[in-house]
Parts: sequence; C-alpha cells; structure tokens
Amino acid sequence: MITRRHRKHRCYISRFSGTGSPEGERTMKLSISEIFNLDYGIKKSIASTALLALSVTYEMVSKKSRELKDEISSWEDGRTFALGVLKDGPSITLMKKGDRIKYLGKGIQGDPAITIYFKNIDSALMVFIGLIGAHTASVQRRVIVHGDLSKTMEVMRTMNIVQMYLMPGIVLKKTFKRPPELSGKQLALKAQIYAGLVPGLILSGSK
Amino acid sequence: MGTPLFEFYCPVKIISGDLALANVPHEMEQLGTKRALIVTDKGVAGAGLIKYVEMAFEGSGCEIGAIFDETPPDSSNRIVNKVAELFKEKKCDCFVAVGGGSCMDTTKGANIVVSEGTDDLMKFQGADRISRQLKPFMAVPTTAGTGSEVTLVAVIYNEDKNCKMAFTSDRLLPNAAFLDPRMTMSLPPKITAATGMDALTHAVEAYFCLQKNPVSDAFAISAIKLIMANIEKATEKGDDVTARLNMANGALLAGIAFSNSMVGVVHSLAHATGGVCHVPHGVANSIFLPYGMEQNLEKCSATIAELSPLLCKTPPSGGSVEKAKCCIQSIRDLADRLNKLCGLPTRLRDTGVKETDLPEIAKLTINDGSLVYNPEELTFDEALEILKKAF
Repeated sequence: MITRRHRKHRCYISRFSGTGSPEGERTMKLSISEIFNLDYGIKKSIASTALLALSVTYEMVSKKSRELKDEISSWEDGRTFALGVLKDGPSITLMKKGDRIKYLGKGIQGDPAITIYFKNIDSALMVFIGLIGAHTASVQRRVIVHGDLSKTMEVMRTMNIVQMYLMPGIVLKKTFKRPPELSGKQLALKAQIYAGLVPGLILSGSK
Repeated sequence: MGTPLFEFYCPVKIISGDLALANVPHEMEQLGTKRALIVTDKGVAGAGLIKYVEMAFEGSGCEIGAIFDETPPDSSNRIVNKVAELFKEKKCDCFVAVGGGSCMDTTKGANIVVSEGTDDLMKFQGADRISRQLKPFMAVPTTAGTGSEVTLVAVIYNEDKNCKMAFTSDRLLPNAAFLDPRMTMSLPPKITAATGMDALTHAVEAYFCLQKNPVSDAFAISAIKLIMANIEKATEKGDDVTARLNMANGALLAGIAFSNSMVGVVHSLAHATGGVCHVPHGVANSIFLPYGMEQNLEKCSATIAELSPLLCKTPPSGGSVEKAKCCIQSIRDLADRLNKLCGLPTRLRDTGVKETDLPEIAKLTINDGSLVYNPEELTFDEALEILKKAF
C-alpha cells in the first residue's frame, strides 16, 4: 500500500521508455518503495553492487582521507571486518593493512573480528538505497553483530566516513544523526571518488 | 517506509510480592527441573539472604545441588567456567541466580558454557549467536536497579584477553523472576539510592532514545512513576516493605523497557567511567543522567517534556523545552536530596575519578555500543566536555 508518506518521499530511480503503446511513448516509473517487490535475484544484484561500491570506496577513501587514517590508526594491523546479508545473501570482507583498508573480496573471508549482518535483503536495501542510515538499521534491529561491540563502534565510525564520500548530500541529510558539512577539500575528494568509482567497480568486480 | 520497525520480547514469568521466593520450587517443577545450582555472592550470603531460598525448598521435592557464593562484583570468564563446572559436577538441571547484576551475568554466561558445551565464550560475543536452548534459569534480584532479571544481555570480563565481552540473545532471558521484598530490605541506603537511580536512568533513557516504541514506553512510564514515588522512602526507611517492593517492581519495569528499547549516552558514559575508574554503575548513571538529557535536549525536548507530569512536582505551563528543562532540574534536585539523605555522589570528583582520567573515559565512551541508540551524535570532544561538566 502506498501511503501519503510514501508519495511524499517518492523519487524515481529509473525510467524505461515503453514502446508500441497506441497512446504513444509511455514511461514506466519505479518508485523506491516498489523496489522491495522485485525478485530476490534482482535485489541480490543491487545489494551485491552496493557492497562492492562500498568496498571500492573504502579503499579509495582510506588512501586519501586523513580522518579515516586517524580513525583506523589505533586498530591492530590485519583486523578484518565483514558486512553481509543473512542467510545466503551477498557479503564482503575488508581488512586494515598499514594505514589503509583493503578489500579482500566477496564472501566472508576467514574469521573476521567483526561481522555485521543484515537480517534480510530488504533491510540491506533500505540502507543501500539511502532510505535509512546504518545506525537506524541497528536501532530497528535490522542488523546483528557478531564480535566485539567496542570494535564494531570503531568500524561503524569508519563506515560513516566512507558513506560521507559515497552518498549524495541529500541522502546524508536524511540518514545521518548529524549530517556532515564537507569542506572544499572533502568535496574535491568526493568528486575524485565519484570519478574513480566505476573503474574501481570494474577492477574489483572479479575479486 | 514511514513506520519504524520495532521488536518487543519479554517471556519472563514475574512472581512479585510477599514471600514470592516460596514459589521457586513450584516454578522449577513447571520447568521440569529438580536440582538447582544457586549462584550468589559473599555479600548476599553474608547478609543471610540465602536462608530464604533454602527455606523455600523444604518439603518441596526439589533440592539445591550446590551454592556458589564467590561471584565477584565484575564477573569474568574464569568465574563463569568455574560455575559451569560446578553445575555439571553436582548434576544440577537449572540455575537460580540470587544477587545483583554480576550474579545474573555470571549465571547467564555459565548457562551458555553448559548448554553450548564450550569453555570459550569469545565466539558467542555479539547478537543472537547462541543456537541451543539454554538450561532453565530463575532470577532473584537482591537490588532494585539493574533489571537483569528481565534483560537479554550479559557482560563478562575476559581475563585472558583483557576485554569485556557482551552477549545479547533472547535465549538469555530468565524463565522466571522472583521479586521478594525480603531480598532488598537489608540494602544500605547509599546502594538503595544508587541502584534506584540506575533504574530511573534505564526508564528515562528507554523513553527518549532511538529504539523507543509504544510498548516499551508503557513500561518506562510505569517504572518512572513507581521509582519517583518510592526511591526516597526506600532510601530513608529501608524497612518500608511497600517502598522496597515498589522499587523492585519499578526496576523490573525499567529493565523490560530498556531491554527492548536500549539506552544511550548516559550509559555509554557510565560504562566507560566504570571501566576506567571502577565507579559503581548506579552512581555513574545518577551523575550523568541530567547531562545526558541535556545533550539530547535539542532533538528530544518534546519527548522528554512528556515526562514532566511524572518527574516535576509542578510542571511548567510553557513549551516543550521548558518542560524538558524542568524534568532535568527535577532529576538534579532528586540527586541532591539523595546526596543529603545517604551521601550519594553528585559529582565525578567525589567518586575517586581524577581529572586526568577524563580523556581515557571519553575515548571509551565513544566506543560504547549504547551510543548507537542515542538520538544525538557524540564526538570525543563532546564526551570530554560532558565529563568536565560532571567532574
């Protein structure tokens, strides 16, 4: 059911030009709330791509962002953390190496110190398409954490930094407790991240 | 996507009132058990409270397999493994925890060890990692504060890795909780006040933090009513049975509320202060509660203002900010009155914390899991600022 609130927040994520309509060209519109009615396979593909984009952005941001380097400076080298969807959904594993975060590949690799699981694919999509923030997903018990809670807080702070560069400002305003105000330098880095995202996805896609 | 998802779960049978403990064997039978391991501490045993438990077993057909009374104030994996060994050695089939939060957490940990057939608790850290049905577990709180008798959390110190392990699982909830006023009558005034303020903090934070929901709100409001009406009576006149039972019920209601809606910055600060300087949890919560409410005032004034009829003697007629500020002042006034009654500290400097400890406390605060549920963001500098004010 589409509620008033749905309509208020409706935004179109894709448009397809229909053909052959006697009335002429018809536009099919898919609202965000309708994404949850898609086949599991499509939702899984979206979630996989989003996780890959997150991984690529982690690598790029950790190369250049002072705040991310500072945040992980106290982590033990080799700390791994994973993010995935229960039960057989997509997942990724990342690791701290030196002063950077390295993408280890798809799936849960080895025995990560921290694993953050979405309880289902719909909850993951809500975060990935910017309907809710990571903290709201926790608050609504859409995720569970395996591992040390204090280390999880550290991981979540790095995720906020990465999302700051990955997500558009409008999404940050909606999903962060305190939306970040990016400096000129940070905006320049965000532009670099956006420019490097597609090549990064292609390069990392095979991992 | 306009309605936030929430969960609520509390299957604990509550037996509350005069001589409630006498029902322990009956509940054991209902759970299909016969032989209990009592987990307690030296303080409870020394106060003679275990005799009430022993009396309950007379002529019941159920028996006490063993009594473990060496639970320390902060439970550890070594103690948990010791309790689990005793459970197996004495062929017990259920746990009865008699004490405060540490006894409850020790029992929850030992229950994981026994039921999962492991001695390595580390791999069960986090949420929903316990896969097996745990042994029947009954809780008899001897303080009116932690609410552990109705919470799904256990925190256990790992002596080998020098870290605190946190476990959350629906399976950790006890099968039954017994609130018997005899068990809290001998609490000294200062502990009564500190644990009572702990319970009040649970209820207030449960009411304004992010996971609040209509069901937990109902429990939080009932808890605040009971605690505000009885905390000073129970502190001043420890043998007031009604006040004691009301406080026990209030702490339980607050426990149900926060077990389902979690807590926020006040608890993050209190956990960190306890970790660095060993300040008792209730004392720390009592000190930080007004500051935590102030920290969230901008985002939550309307929600906090809803508590003004419960917290303020004469709620102001102004807007939500005035009402919320009145709530904060009322809590400060209550803490001051308790300070006069029993010496409950109102400043960090009076608890043994040194100013040089504050940066370390701030560092731990921003890594505390409760912060996720706090409405307002908190940076290291902001945490340090609150600590300085509270000092």
